[in-house]
Amino acid sequence: MSLLKKNKTVFIIISIVILSVGIISVYQYIYRSPKKTVEIAPEYKGNANEFNYLVTDNLSHWISKIVQITGKVTQVNEDGILLNGTIYCQIEDIHDFQSITENQNIVIKGKLVGFDELLMEIKLNQCIIIQ
Amino acid sequence: MKKHTFLIAFCFLVSLQLHSQKYFTRSGITQFEASEKAFEPIEAINSSTTVLLDTNNGNIVSQVFMAGFQFRNALMQEHFNENYMDSYQYPKATFKGNLDNFSIVSLKANNSYDLNGVLSIKGINKNIQTTVSVKVENNRIFISGSFYVNANDFDIKIPSIVQDKIAKQIEISIAYELIEKK
Repeated sequence: MSLLKKNKTVFIIISIVILSVGIISVYQYIYRSPKKTVEIAPEYKGNANEFNYLVTDNLSHWISKIVQITGKVTQVNEDGILLNGTIYCQIEDIHDFQSITENQNIVIKGKLVGFDELLMEIKLNQCIIIQ
Repeated sequence: MKKHTFLIAFCFLVSLQLHSQKYFTRSGITQFEASEKAFEPIEAINSSTTVLLDTNNGNIVSQVFMAGFQFRNALMQEHFNENYMDSYQYPKATFKGNLDNFSIVSLKANNSYDLNGVLSIKGINKNIQTTVSVKVENNRIFISGSFYVNANDFDIKIPSIVQDKIAKQIEISIAYELIEKK
């Protein structure tokens, strides 16, 4: 009898533990914050000119995708860098690119948000400098 | 992407460049809030808004990418892009309008201007009338303000299960810092 009672207690404790782990993980799944650029593997790695062609060909495929682009810096602004004159990379942390100068080659990882028809350039945001 | 859209936009840009002075930004801040009281906040910020202002006549165009809206909650961001905004089909919202009686010469420390124009979201156009504050400091133009839009004006369907948690009237706030375009 006492053994049965003990088993019952153990069973209840185990169920409570399992249930709370379940609730916590569901909660964490629902309330998780969006991943940062650095945590996501790039869908594309390559050269700015080639990427330009790919985006012109099929823009909607690339929207929201994380890409890693190698290119030449053609302009440095307050909040970002223009690569090969056609890809604008908005940098997440402005301290990151203080040493960057025009005409240097650079590797940037960021999220493609769209094609900017006002300025005729591809726009990436949340960019980080890889190299 | 359509070639002729490029061509038109390009000609448009070239023609503007020839006649006028322009101010612009690539990192304007556009926020929205659609929270109902007592529920968790539904809000997101986009700090990649492109804005072009022609200071000769007050014409203003802006463009905001849906994929650029950042939420605090990843699931909410997914739903926003996939269910509510169809961001892959309609990647951006645009605004074309005019700051009435705008003149950079008469701009003092702080001014209010009527902003009229057409807001296009999910391919649907709506007229917007609002008042924004405009000021000039160190050859930068600061534009800020806010206005409301209705979700159902833009065919944004809110499922009945979350209907009580999402406001029908969505507040959009803007804060743009424009620099001279050379």
